[in-house]
Amino acid sequence: MNPVVVENLTVAYQKKPVLSNVSFEVPEGKLIGIIGPNGAGKSTLIKAILGLIPKAAGEIKIYDKKYRPKDRVVGYVPQRGSVDWDFPTNALDVVLMGRYGHVGWFKRPGKKDTEIAMECLKKVGMEKYANRQISQLSGGQQQRVFLARALAQDAKVYFMDEPFVGVDAATERAIIELLNELKRQGKTVLVVHHDLQTVKEYFDHVMLLNVNTIAAGPTEEVFTLENLTRTYGGKLSFLEKDQLIVEQK
Amino acid sequence: MNDLLRMILLDANTQWVLIGTMLLGIASGVLGGIALLRKQSLIGDAVAHAALPGICIAFLLSGEKSLFVLLIGATITGLLAAYSIQFIISSSIIKEDAAICLVLSVFFGFGIVLLTKVSQTPSGNKSGLDDFIFGQAASLVGNDVKLMAGAAAVLIFITALIFKELKVLTFDPSFAKGLGLPTGLLNFLFLSLLVAAVVVGIQAVGVILMAALLITPAIAARYWTNSLSKMIVISGIFGALSGMAGTLISTLGEGLPTGPFIVVTATALFLISMLFAPERGLVTKWIKRIANNKQLRNNKLLQGEKRSGYHEL
Ligand SMILES: Nc1ncnc2c1ncn2[C@@H]1O[C@H](COP(=O)(O)OP(=O)(O)OP(=O)(O)O)[C@@H](O)[C@H]1O
Ligand SMILES: [Mg+2]
Repeated sequence: MNPVVVENLTVAYQKKPVLSNVSFEVPEGKLIGIIGPNGAGKSTLIKAILGLIPKAAGEIKIYDKKYRPKDRVVGYVPQRGSVDWDFPTNALDVVLMGRYGHVGWFKRPGKKDTEIAMECLKKVGMEKYANRQISQLSGGQQQRVFLARALAQDAKVYFMDEPFVGVDAATERAIIELLNELKRQGKTVLVVHHDLQTVKEYFDHVMLLNVNTIAAGPTEEVFTLENLTRTYGGKLSFLEKDQLIVEQK
Repeated sequence: MNDLLRMILLDANTQWVLIGTMLLGIASGVLGGIALLRKQSLIGDAVAHAALPGICIAFLLSGEKSLFVLLIGATITGLLAAYSIQFIISSSIIKEDAAICLVLSVFFGFGIVLLTKVSQTPSGNKSGLDDFIFGQAASLVGNDVKLMAGAAAVLIFITALIFKELKVLTFDPSFAKGLGLPTGLLNFLFLSLLVAAVVVGIQAVGVILMAALLITPAIAARYWTNSLSKMIVISGIFGALSGMAGTLISTLGEGLPTGPFIVVTATALFLISMLFAPERGLVTKWIKRIANNKQLRNNKLLQGEKRSGYHEL
């Protein structure tokens, strides 16, 4: 049973669709890269799958069922800019929010939840910053807190919107390690990614997106110069150089 | 003066009024704190001003000054104003500040017109409806004040109950939705709680200054802590202090309006917080920086001496 199946998904903010007839499926226990130029609809795709924005047409199935947040199978790491970091709270508290679905209405998170949250902070190397006010964290640290919060959700499928933006090389390494660890536990992770040079190294599968699905499948088969040309269109000139580097590796 | 104070404090009605304004202060502080973070403080201001036409219409229709009936009128126009603002923002190119301003002035202007009309009616000129402009807690009696105290207590209780949900909704709405929370319903519920707090408070604080009781304790509390729950508690305490102090002062002086004194107390608390709160207070920060710079300079001086010593060698 495939964790995510999308059929003929169409989404429009205004008249012109941002996603049109997007179809793809992803296998379980894999790291999947979602690749495409700015404005291709990558964030929109994730939001539509999570039901954060309405779809105009199409079918989305998570583990063969219509997605319901209550089932708690899906974890989400939004783009970092999406919240007000001046909010009065600390890192541990943000990670605890990942436990709210498990805690349920009206109740407060318990000691066990705090332990789990601390563990997740440790996994992203942020345990020292548990009590740090979130506005006093660096951009990369904030990104890691978001990641820890998603881990605390203890989901089966994760969607991450550009988790590597603004993090240093060492942190990127650490995050990739973490994602591989999730994969070993049989979880499925979909990551919006911009750095074409690392695609082959990081992802088992890729899905090339630009309003339509250009291609989706195992990285060796799909991540080809031809498909990339179709995805990025006229921006190919500087892309070719990147591509050469990728091919040489 | 002391005797007067003792006499007032021993009076059963005054005790109720004090309890009422205290609970009102807590409710306003708590809801205002959340509204501040949701950037909805000004909606509270518009709602308060919009309560005035509702009160007048309720009076004109019922022909009597029953607080309960008047507050129902206030609730209806208050809710109408709140949802009008949301509707204008979501369905037109008008931005939030302009939408709030528009709704506030239209409703309040209409309210003033109605108030003039009311004062021209035979029963109207003694109706005491103008008490609603600046608030008159001391004129609250019997069941009215118990109504206010009870309603404020219910608001505090509901907010405490859904605090965790409101928190994640405020910090990260899309994550809250991803958790399966009914975000639309929660938004609606919070707005309704805010309207309720305003309506409960207008008799004591008045429509013009009610928003200050929502906003001021909240921004004062923000100076003291970096934790949401602590901030909300402190905001509630500041609100309670303001409510009580304002009521006492206005009761001491015959016929003084309550609202302005509540707001003056809240503002004093805010000024103290802004200047002297640990870590964030302006004076505190200034003193710390001077000490810090001095230390840095001293260190540098030491280093400088070492270096010059090295040169001499
Ligand atoms: N709230 C919105 N209202 C209207 N149009 C929107 C909205 N959000 C996004 N769009 C449009 O939808 C298209 C896809 O946006 P989306 O954010 O999904 O792109 P993306 O692939 O994530 O891009 P990036 O790489 O820059 O993050 C863009 O053309 C954008 O202008
Ligand atoms: Mg995006």
